[in-house]
Amino acid sequence: MSLTAIIVMIACIIALWGVASTALVYSMRQEERKLTLLETQKSFEPLSPRAMRDLEGWLAHHPEGEQAEEMRELLDTQQRALQDNPRHFYDWRDESAAT
Amino acid sequence: MTTTISREQWGSRFGYLMAVVGAMVGAGNIWRMPYVTGENGGGAFLIAYFILLYLIAVPGLMGETSLGRYTRQGLLGTFRKIYGNNKFVGFGLVILVFNIVLMSYYSSIVGWSIYYTYHAVIGSFTQTQFDTAALWQAFSSNTALNVGMHTVAMLIVTVILLKGIKGGIERLAKWMMPILTVSLIAIAIRGVTLPGAMAGLEFSFSPDWEYLARGQTWLAALGQALFSTGLGWGIALTYGSYLGRDDDIPLGGGIFTAIGNTSFGLLAIFAVFPIVFAMGISPTSGAELAFVALASAFGNMSGGYIWALLFFMGFFFANLTTAIAITEVGVTTYKEELKTSRGKAVLTICGIIWLLGIPSAMNASILGYLDFVVGNWGLPLATFIIMLSIGWKFDANRLRILSLNRGADLYVPKFWESIIRFEIPAIMLFIMVYFLYSNLTATPWKTVSGLIILTLTIPLCMWIMGRRQGDAYPATSVGGQSS
Repeated sequence: MSLTAIIVMIACIIALWGVASTALVYSMRQEERKLTLLETQKSFEPLSPRAMRDLEGWLAHHPEGEQAEEMRELLDTQQRALQDNPRHFYDWRDESAAT
Repeated sequence: MTTTISREQWGSRFGYLMAVVGAMVGAGNIWRMPYVTGENGGGAFLIAYFILLYLIAVPGLMGETSLGRYTRQGLLGTFRKIYGNNKFVGFGLVILVFNIVLMSYYSSIVGWSIYYTYHAVIGSFTQTQFDTAALWQAFSSNTALNVGMHTVAMLIVTVILLKGIKGGIERLAKWMMPILTVSLIAIAIRGVTLPGAMAGLEFSFSPDWEYLARGQTWLAALGQALFSTGLGWGIALTYGSYLGRDDDIPLGGGIFTAIGNTSFGLLAIFAVFPIVFAMGISPTSGAELAFVALASAFGNMSGGYIWALLFFMGFFFANLTTAIAITEVGVTTYKEELKTSRGKAVLTICGIIWLLGIPSAMNASILGYLDFVVGNWGLPLATFIIMLSIGWKFDANRLRILSLNRGADLYVPKFWESIIRFEIPAIMLFIMVYFLYSNLTATPWKTVSGLIILTLTIPLCMWIMGRRQGDAYPATSVGGQSS
């Protein structure tokens, strides 16, 4: 086999099998963390800090209407989970430092 | 407000991931991808393919899955939530029709793989001077046998679907996909250790950079990236509708599904072409590769019985998990629309598919014609409809905030929205126009008749759903508000 073919083959193995295996393992571990949180404290926050900022930004632009209610409901769930739960699913350390 | 419907959910993360990858890994990964790769510049094709996979398939699958998880309904219920109670729910019916037509001929392919698995079990391929070309010829021309295999395939699909999402689809995928993986790895190890096998890997991976500048390479990569991942067929939407509210989508439903599916294509390259080249067979694709060339190659290898068995069993598993997913789209939708039991929905949809599949099982040219129409225009049109509905009518921004980034293992930034709104629909339009242009002179009758059928399907579905909406459903929609 030529050197370039070998390089392409290895690159493909990393880009496909490497990424797929990493994604599978990471996803399973995250799921385990979620299950542990659900067992110990019944709930966890549904949004990451960045996702929560997107939600707040959307509500700032569209404060009225049925869709705003739906968004506000999600924000309430998020804030309640952050307040009530001692352990969080997402990393909030930078957010606490910023505030 | 989001209506939460009490419905079955996936039993485990692993089960969902295996089911969704199983849905996408089908015949195309095994009998098409190795050849397309080698024919289109090897490594150069793979680079084009990866770029398109990440630019289109991954974001598209994220969108489709998150829409299903948000609405928690099948195709028609989802479109009703987006468009309200009007004729536009017919767009969902259009996609459903394409799915049922697709499955009507795909079940024949499942039937072929069952027949060849049977021959692998009884050891036909390792008999002295066994002629695989003659077997394929005899099988292809035996109408009753083909209809019988189509019937067996649909019976298996029916039995599995009757057991439900968790007890049927998930349980099956949890052991079939690992077996498929191990089978292909074992064949690949055997293949690359054969004398002359490296020429097969050279054919597949050696990059011819000139191909990157050719439009045909990018089109082939685009076709493989779209059709192999099943984007826009309603499968990701339906499977996503059985996810929990705080389950991750971007990593599992997007990246793992698309990359995992392609990983099987790569595994097939390792499993198929080293053997093909080592045995001095000319590289090809499709039924001829699997049922003639490879079947013959296994017969000439030491331990051929076990390699043939592993290959055809794995091939059957790949086809079966896809067939189950395509059929489940109809089952979920029928069950919700007619508010009936799952058992009745499974029997009705599988019965319809079985009936519609008989002509394809009896006549290969009907199968070829349906594949031509559905593959060239039906599926790109379905993807076009779903992506436009997500991007513009529902609003990609809302979906990203409400569903996609909820419980996500990976944050999806704003640029995802422009991929859904502009990039994927534009590419789908381009594909349909290109296929029309390229096929019109070569196969004018097939092209024109296919287009007429499609053109009539859309208004017909809209008319049917327009009539149905008034009586059965209250007026609600969750259509968009762009930010």
